[in-house]
Amino acid sequence: MTAIPWTVFVPELFLLGAALLIFLLDSVGFRWLEVFGGLATGGIVLALLAVLADLRFAPLAAFATVPANVVDAPWSQLGGSLVAVTSFGLVFQAIFLTSALLVSLSSLSRPTKEKGAAIFFGLLLFATLGMTLAALSADLIFLLLSIEITGISTYLLVGYTRRDPRGLEAAMKFYIIGALSAALSFFGASLLYAAYGTTSLYALGTTVVYLGHPPLDGATSIALLGYAFLIVGIGFKVTAVPFQAWAVDVYDGAPSDVSAFLAGGSKKVGLFGYFLVFLVPILFAGRLATAPPACPVGLCVTLHPDFGVPLQVIFGVMAIVTMTVGNVLALQQSEMKRMLAYSSISQAGYMLIGLAVATSPAIAGALLQIFAHVFMKAGAFLVVGAVAGLGIGSKIEDWKGVGLRYPYLGLSFAVMLLSLAGVPLTVGFVSKFVLFSAAVQAQGWFVWLAVAGLLNSALSVFYYARVLRVMYMERPEPRSAALPSGAVLGGSEPPLLALGGIGYGRAIAIGIAVVAIFAFGVYPQVVLSTFQNAANHLLQAL
Amino acid sequence: MTDLPLAAFLGLSAVLLGIGIFGILTRRNFILLLIAIEVAMNAAILNFVVFGAYWGGTPGYGLEGPSIAVVLVGLAATEVAVGLAIVLALNRLRGSINVAEATVLKL
Repeated sequence: MTAIPWTVFVPELFLLGAALLIFLLDSVGFRWLEVFGGLATGGIVLALLAVLADLRFAPLAAFATVPANVVDAPWSQLGGSLVAVTSFGLVFQAIFLTSALLVSLSSLSRPTKEKGAAIFFGLLLFATLGMTLAALSADLIFLLLSIEITGISTYLLVGYTRRDPRGLEAAMKFYIIGALSAALSFFGASLLYAAYGTTSLYALGTTVVYLGHPPLDGATSIALLGYAFLIVGIGFKVTAVPFQAWAVDVYDGAPSDVSAFLAGGSKKVGLFGYFLVFLVPILFAGRLATAPPACPVGLCVTLHPDFGVPLQVIFGVMAIVTMTVGNVLALQQSEMKRMLAYSSISQAGYMLIGLAVATSPAIAGALLQIFAHVFMKAGAFLVVGAVAGLGIGSKIEDWKGVGLRYPYLGLSFAVMLLSLAGVPLTVGFVSKFVLFSAAVQAQGWFVWLAVAGLLNSALSVFYYARVLRVMYMERPEPRSAALPSGAVLGGSEPPLLALGGIGYGRAIAIGIAVVAIFAFGVYPQVVLSTFQNAANHLLQAL
Repeated sequence: MTDLPLAAFLGLSAVLLGIGIFGILTRRNFILLLIAIEVAMNAAILNFVVFGAYWGGTPGYGLEGPSIAVVLVGLAATEVAVGLAIVLALNRLRGSINVAEATVLKL
């Protein structure tokens, strides 16, 4: 049996320490935005370094806090532990921390000193803490509770300004949907507990053993119902169609930095939950044929409910419907943030392909797609926040000439949109290529998932190209309306890098995203081998 | 004492969940909505207690149920606290806690 040392929680301790320090400083009346931002960013960077060390990245491997025999230990040897360290989970932790880092960096330098700075950075850290805990879970209840930590922090994060009616209304909608999804998820978990007698993710979805016990009537249908509730409950977090309606309002109403975090981080927790909960029953179907598990003692009743293929069909259909609906609705949007929100929904559809196919290359492709989405979508929301801070409206047509007037923001946004559309040399192209080719390799009806993905990628080019045309080809109307206070404009001769108005932290965060899109687009091997390893080890460990 | 059949408990929790979801979908007053959320949450809590007792006969099983139920009670309370914070902020800003009046975020 593998014992889990406390050191697996080192990244979480950095986050928790930074969050508590921020709230402590705030409560004694020390309110300095830069210090809060610095603490949050520092905590996230330390946590990210610890996770990269645990992933055994070359220069950091010496600092790894988790012993090598604990990482990717088979789950059968965990002895019912709530926590397991998998390289799959560590990769997700790195993804969550990267998106939190981008958001906290870009909030470092704001034009004004905001009163809610401690709340913003503290809640950001707590939401990230919930995500990293979720990535460690080996137990359904542990997973759902961690997702709830993230959820509760993000409800408050969406409405943290308390003065903005749009943000507060978004928080209200997010809260209602989140609470509903939590109730449904936990009800599903209780039904699975009823059928299996355990909440360990390793045992759920496999053989039920009734020892000294009359078997439960209709255990298979109860378990099936439990999975249905979990698909719905976690589906709200993933923004999979038909559970996506709230996302557009929330992403639109939330402050842009928070939207970046929701799209880059909190949606991924739901996807991680989908993978962790549903991979076991999907894989079990294949294993049952080769080695049916036997009864441990003489007298008992065993059940082998097989949910593999139905679950794969459900997720395959969900993937196709999600990407299509997201893309078709994105085509019709005139508001920039709503367009990005629908495009984010369609991207969730691509990621679900990995779960439907459930082979090692497909999971690696989904991981790469999730990783790429952080830089593309969170980066895009950060640019939208910067442009809004410059006094430009929220409609797409308000962005006329932005590309020429603000070359840095314009070019960065263009790169992110091209990557979202899947243009070669960007990470968006590589991730789609890996994902779709894995679906084709898997043969059978999975090929249709790749076909749907390709058609949808082609469709998505239309609305991204429309934004690019508005940004670069159309002349801005002469400004007559008074500019909002706090907006910094370059006047008739804008400086080459108009950074002054957007703050250096935000400029750095956007720069990181752009560099990452190109770097991982040209040299995907840097991360792809890690992702393939993570996928292989997950399939072996489960 | 005759034991109630398991199906009775499952039926009760299904009814609780139904009442909760119905309330979440139809209530327009945020406070009543919070109550509906609580009712829906209680369905899961009841299930955990009942099936903790059911699995209690097997060695090594059965303790998770009641302990999970206690944790979920705490979670439900936390959720309501956050909901009340949002209600207070909404009420200060608009003087109304009616959900149906929240229409800023429409196209």
